[in-house]
Amino acid sequence: MTIFHFFNCAILTFGPHAVYYSATPLSEYDTLGTSVKAAVVYLGTALIKLVCIATFLKVPENDNFDPYQELLKALIGFIDVAGLYFALTQLTHRNISQNHKFQAVGLGWAFADSVLHRLAPLWVGARGLEFTWEYILQGLEANANLVLTVSLAALGSLMWLRKNKPRTLIPIIYLCAGILATMPSITSYLRRSLGWQPPKVVGFELFSSLEDLLTLRCSSG
Amino acid sequence: MATRKEGQVEVLQTLYSMLALVFVLVACVELGDAATVVDVYRLIQYDLAGVPFGSRLAALNHHAGSLPFTPGTDLSRTVIIMPIREVNITFLREYTTNKKHLGGLLLLLPRASSDGSTEETKDADEVPVVGLFRNVLAELEQLLVHATVPYPVYFAFEDPSLDAVLADVKKNDALGQPATATTGGYKFVVPSPEPKKISSPMMTNIQGWLPGLKGEGDSNQLPTIAIVASYDTFGAAPALSVGSDSNGSGIVTLLEIARLFTRLYSNPKTRGRYNLLFGLTSGGPYNYNGTLKWLRSFDQRLRESIDYAICLNSIGSWSDDLWLHVSKPPENAYIKQVYESLSNVAEELGFRINIKHKKINISNPRVAWEHEQFSRLRVTAATLSELSSAPELLENAGGLADSRRFVDESAVVRSVKLVAESLARHIYGQQGKNIQVFADGSSLAVNPSYIRLWLDLLSRTPRVAPFLSKNDPFVSALKKELAEHTVEVSVQHEVLDGMFTFYDLTKAKLNIYQVASVTFDLLLLLVLGSYLILLFSFLVITTRGLDDLISIFRRPPSRKVKTA
Repeated sequence: MTIFHFFNCAILTFGPHAVYYSATPLSEYDTLGTSVKAAVVYLGTALIKLVCIATFLKVPENDNFDPYQELLKALIGFIDVAGLYFALTQLTHRNISQNHKFQAVGLGWAFADSVLHRLAPLWVGARGLEFTWEYILQGLEANANLVLTVSLAALGSLMWLRKNKPRTLIPIIYLCAGILATMPSITSYLRRSLGWQPPKVVGFELFSSLEDLLTLRCSSG
Repeated sequence: MATRKEGQVEVLQTLYSMLALVFVLVACVELGDAATVVDVYRLIQYDLAGVPFGSRLAALNHHAGSLPFTPGTDLSRTVIIMPIREVNITFLREYTTNKKHLGGLLLLLPRASSDGSTEETKDADEVPVVGLFRNVLAELEQLLVHATVPYPVYFAFEDPSLDAVLADVKKNDALGQPATATTGGYKFVVPSPEPKKISSPMMTNIQGWLPGLKGEGDSNQLPTIAIVASYDTFGAAPALSVGSDSNGSGIVTLLEIARLFTRLYSNPKTRGRYNLLFGLTSGGPYNYNGTLKWLRSFDQRLRESIDYAICLNSIGSWSDDLWLHVSKPPENAYIKQVYESLSNVAEELGFRINIKHKKINISNPRVAWEHEQFSRLRVTAATLSELSSAPELLENAGGLADSRRFVDESAVVRSVKLVAESLARHIYGQQGKNIQVFADGSSLAVNPSYIRLWLDLLSRTPRVAPFLSKNDPFVSALKKELAEHTVEVSVQHEVLDGMFTFYDLTKAKLNIYQVASVTFDLLLLLVLGSYLILLFSFLVITTRGLDDLISIFRRPPSRKVKTA
């Protein structure tokens, strides 16, 4: 029965990635290699990030929101953007269109993130007897994260790869990208400083991801 | 373009439904909470002459339920939580006598009853309620100890987390709902190995001497007076059997008497012509097995030198009269002398002592009083107790009901005065004279705070002999205390023999999990499946168009046609 619960949570956490891959033209153009490369880049980025966090951040003694520490954390968070930049521009991809490239990179990135951050807790926690909503929430969070990452990759590809950018959109793009990159800090702020409960935070994340999707859709087409 | 528009509309609709779903999920979320771990104390498990008694299992893994149940419900997979304040003895009796199977039983003891704290009950209303509990507890204990229970039985103290669980379980049982994640089903798990037999349980007897003053050239051995109390307990939950009255009060009285007499005996002028022998014996609940071994270890001359022995048993919660239990007829000269000496002092102190004669049946293995072991070896002895009749086997041995709050310090103080005073008069040959050796306010006064401290300590220390190891800190503490007041202290380790076999595992940790039911998991799977299908359709429609989605479902038959 608890294996059942683990199975459910795993579906919720990793299912959307698979569905995204198989439902969109990504599968038709066989972009798996790109996603795998992006995932490898993610691993490298995560390592660098860990080293940076370990070097520059103090271990928080309490659960309060410390602006200085959070600012540092947000800055370290921008390493993610650098990693994405690398994955989008420097890697030699097979000849796929820009449109598919950013999706494949975003997907690989988000999947690697899910595996790295959520698989182990899921395996350890969701198989226990105690029922909590935590792992279902975590799965929902993974969904929101997928959308956010793909949007960030889309914005990145708009910024770095497209040559003829519409002038008026540039500040909006940069603003959106900035917001997306600082998303972890924003959620952390909500959680600690405003004392939001996890469900509320996840709700916010989902909501913002949907919002984001809509704006992206409007701005791109 | 038209399909694109349609797609957009559909997108918005799916978005709305998704949002609705998300909000519904978010609304449910607050209910989850973490696993709780509670200390629980297992019902004793023992064999009496090969016949199994007590709880025969230790491991527990079942859902929780609470009373009342509709008759005929299958409870073989339910752990019943039963607070003592609403315990249903008839239900339990029915279940144990008919050998019906339960998943398990968790009895919740009121927190204060075994607190061991010195706090007096502040509310006057509380006292009768507590008294009621005491009777219920005693009855329950006797029922459980003398029954064979084929399922695990645990005791726990009420605490906020358990109360919350109980309230939740009750609410659900009242509604008749099955346990689900949203309505709070609880699973009780005690991970525990099979209970093992305790091989050769040890008993430890402690004795101390206060040698009397021998006259010049007096070659005869001095007569000896023995004061004896058995210190171990027996109860439904070995880890909770502190026995404040039986026989904590006896131990305290003995220690205090030793303390008083050591002051007299340390000065050669007041050193009496009697040896005093203090004995703390083990194995009391098991027909005073320890006392028997202890007496047998004496050599014949020593045994014959014992003038008389006074055994102290349950003298901590009486008000007007005490009982002197003897096994020789009261007309016997030695018995008469002991009784008169005690009752004279009692009269002066303002209470009464009754004498009760109970003959020993040598063929009966049951030894109801400690003095009977002395009498069987032809030593004059009597037991001083507040109980008017002999307890049955394993009854009144310091179980759950016997807690600190039922022991009255002033009763113990009066007992000490009684015994010490009568001893002093006997030793110094002042029988029948109204003198007070241990008068209040004098340097030889009884020390109530000493008594209180020892009573508190004893009321916190479970002392079921098979579960006390040889070098148990409690035994060492008793030995050390006796060594403070007496001269030659020796410790005797003996194997508890007889018909008893005990099993280990007296304490455990109970894990309480809030679990989701299978239906909830199925429902969740359904929701997730439909979510993924919706997501798939949505993505296919937005990126490739509606026709592609339809064609996905059409493709397999067309391929078949091709291969054919």
